[in-house]
Amino acid sequence: MEEDEGLAVPVPPLWSMTMEKYEKVIAFFKELGFQFDISQFDDRLIAQKLVCLLELKGVDLGYSCSLYVRGPYSPDLTQDLYAFTREFESLETGSRLTPHEKETAGELGRIFGLKPVSLEVGATYGYYTLRQKSDPLEAVRQVKRLKPFYSEAQIALGVSKAKQFLFTPTEKDLDALKEETGIWQRASLSSREHRGE
Amino acid sequence: MQNDILSILNESEGLNAKVFSLVRFKLLASLAALGQDGATYRELKAALDINDGVLFANLNVLKDMGYLTSGKITSEGKELELYTITPEGQDEWKRMRAWLCRFLHCGA
Repeated sequence: MEEDEGLAVPVPPLWSMTMEKYEKVIAFFKELGFQFDISQFDDRLIAQKLVCLLELKGVDLGYSCSLYVRGPYSPDLTQDLYAFTREFESLETGSRLTPHEKETAGELGRIFGLKPVSLEVGATYGYYTLRQKSDPLEAVRQVKRLKPFYSEAQIALGVSKAKQFLFTPTEKDLDALKEETGIWQRASLSSREHRGE
Repeated sequence: MQNDILSILNESEGLNAKVFSLVRFKLLASLAALGQDGATYRELKAALDINDGVLFANLNVLKDMGYLTSGKITSEGKELELYTITPEGQDEWKRMRAWLCRFLHCGA
């Protein structure tokens, strides 16, 4: 019997139908070398901000983050961290990352490391710019309002890391950068020629 | 009956009237969403924009009522005070939400 293509419904991969969503998060933690300990406040903070940054980057982990007193946060993730503590702490998972997910995890780890302050500032800045569509200046202002206990330097560092992780420069950005730095490159070349290098 | 305002108002007797202050309301609502994870004093102060005197006093009232607990935690080498909602606090918050929704006819 011929299959009627008009009736075809996109079917999610088999693993996603049998696997719990927390297992994918554990796979990311494993890739990042994050040894989670539920009793540590900073570890719970790192877990939340890693997941929110990945969601902001477009990785659908099934834990949507919204703004709470602690910044971008997923109460569903908190529930699962407590319900599946053994699995999270032993990094026990049947889920595997795709090559693209591995690349994203690598980038996240390289840019942020597992530093709670940078992750918190970065996730908060990302949330304001991407979810609330605030312009960069307004987003920084909001981060400072919500996290006044962090220094200017800590905020600047977290924001810069968020920009590096979450935003890919457009052709226009690259052209503007080329124009801005072109004059210095030309000057440097002509100086080398002048010195006969 | 949905429009029986008197019986809805009378149902409020089952609620803890001491929680009906804007500050306590904001604190319970914030901490209920975070469950066992809780929030630090400095996070509550900054996000809810409540001054120290008012915040400290109201957190203590909620603690005395058994709705919150607090304890010391360490974050990035700093000792901070963490506030967490108790199961009794969650129950009271759920009762308040349900009653408010009934009062406002929002269908909960």
